[in-house]
Amino acid sequence: MTPPPYTRAEAEARETFLALMWALSYPGRVYQLPAHKPNFELIAGSLLDLETSYFTVDAKLQPVLAQTSAQALPVDRAAYHFFPAIGEEHLAALGEACIGTRLYPDEAATLFIGCALGSGLPLTLRGPGINGAQALQVSGVPKPFWHMRQAVCRFPLGWDVYLVDGQQIVGLPRSVQVEFK
Amino acid sequence: MILQDLAQPRQDYSYAFMDAYAKRELRRRILKAIAIPGYQVPYASRELPIARGWGTGGLQVTLSLVGPESVVKVIDQGADDSVNAANLRRFITRMSGAETTTDTLKATILQSRHRIPEEIMTEGQALVLQVPDPEPLRGVTADMSKASQLHADADYGQIWLLLYEQLVRYRQYIQGASYPSLVNGRYIISPSPIPRWDTPKLHQSAHLTLLSAGREKRLYAVPPYTAVYPLEFSDVPFQVEDQRGWVCKTTGIQNKFMNELPQEDGTAQYELSDSGYAEKLMNRGKTAPTYYDDEGNFYHAGYLRPPVLPTL
Repeated sequence: MTPPPYTRAEAEARETFLALMWALSYPGRVYQLPAHKPNFELIAGSLLDLETSYFTVDAKLQPVLAQTSAQALPVDRAAYHFFPAIGEEHLAALGEACIGTRLYPDEAATLFIGCALGSGLPLTLRGPGINGAQALQVSGVPKPFWHMRQAVCRFPLGWDVYLVDGQQIVGLPRSVQVEFK
Repeated sequence: MILQDLAQPRQDYSYAFMDAYAKRELRRRILKAIAIPGYQVPYASRELPIARGWGTGGLQVTLSLVGPESVVKVIDQGADDSVNAANLRRFITRMSGAETTTDTLKATILQSRHRIPEEIMTEGQALVLQVPDPEPLRGVTADMSKASQLHADADYGQIWLLLYEQLVRYRQYIQGASYPSLVNGRYIISPSPIPRWDTPKLHQSAHLTLLSAGREKRLYAVPPYTAVYPLEFSDVPFQVEDQRGWVCKTTGIQNKFMNELPQEDGTAQYELSDSGYAEKLMNRGKTAPTYYDDEGNFYHAGYLRPPVLPTL
């Protein structure tokens, strides 16, 4: 029997998911999204559908996310948050994002944040998925964000963050402690 | 645009059997499980052409990961050739075109019913464990909602009491498989019915472990390099199965997990449980370092402590 065809859509969704999965399993390491589509479009295509919800402040991304038939919800109720660029002005809203409850920590929001990797604020990561410590440099994310994340992530509660730079992606699950000066 | 542009070519099955919605849902849940090590994430658990309870949980996770370039190994109690493993493996390859192997080190996805192989798994490998009962607290509370409240509060007093009662009655921990273990210092998991021998292999492992219960519709994960400790009182250490002196009848090896084969005269013979590893030894193939060395020492020195008989 010949196996069912591995269609382009199938391959895109799977390869994007594998990048997301390994990025979350080995926090701080850089993984590659497939090359042939814009990054947030790939992520939306592999995770979003009508059973889930999103929030974004980016007017250009809005129709792309709506295409997945996921529900656009206010910041405090959405499951997936997309910030192609993040500034200090977004942080007040982000403070409302769901961090889950003790009974259902899986209801917490997942944030996808556009940034530049490899330069800027040096971070040291420790926690599950990291053998000892992992160094990471990030620019384009305001420093108060890292203070906010520190205050919000009280395991098992907190956000799961992905840093996206072009097709490069780094995962920061809530279980990871981020140290910076 | 014409209708034909929007239509896909006819296909009898979706790639890897599950449709796109099912896979997306499961993938979203897998990401949450990795982000919250040890927390049991509910998921939909779809119908498969295999009855629930025969590894559908593990199978769904494998199907959501597998691709044409994947190399899949499926084992059942250590054996690649048992009926359950052979059927699941055939189904996975028919639906994905993935390659199969019996070599632990070549596999990118390793689905297992109740064993972790002897050879040390490496970074980038995914171990998928089939779980019949994901709830470590079932023995102390039958009520699912009460159990999830206990997990939410990290209220694990009752399970410690259970262990204490075992010590009082039997002077040892008597749980043989699915030994309750604390993941990342927060959640107690049932590591699926792997023998105690395999439980320490989850601690600070290089590979990713995904545990999925299809019938119970819950999955949870142990990410790489995560602390996993079997529950033990500080003065009575956790012990793995004592199989010292058991020699494999085919390979002559010791200090690996053995199957006991009772003989007609009342004695027993022993045989390596990990058939892929046995095959390599028999063919004098290249073997990798194992979790337990030939003297029976675990690869994380100091993790397993010598036995202590409690004085009560």
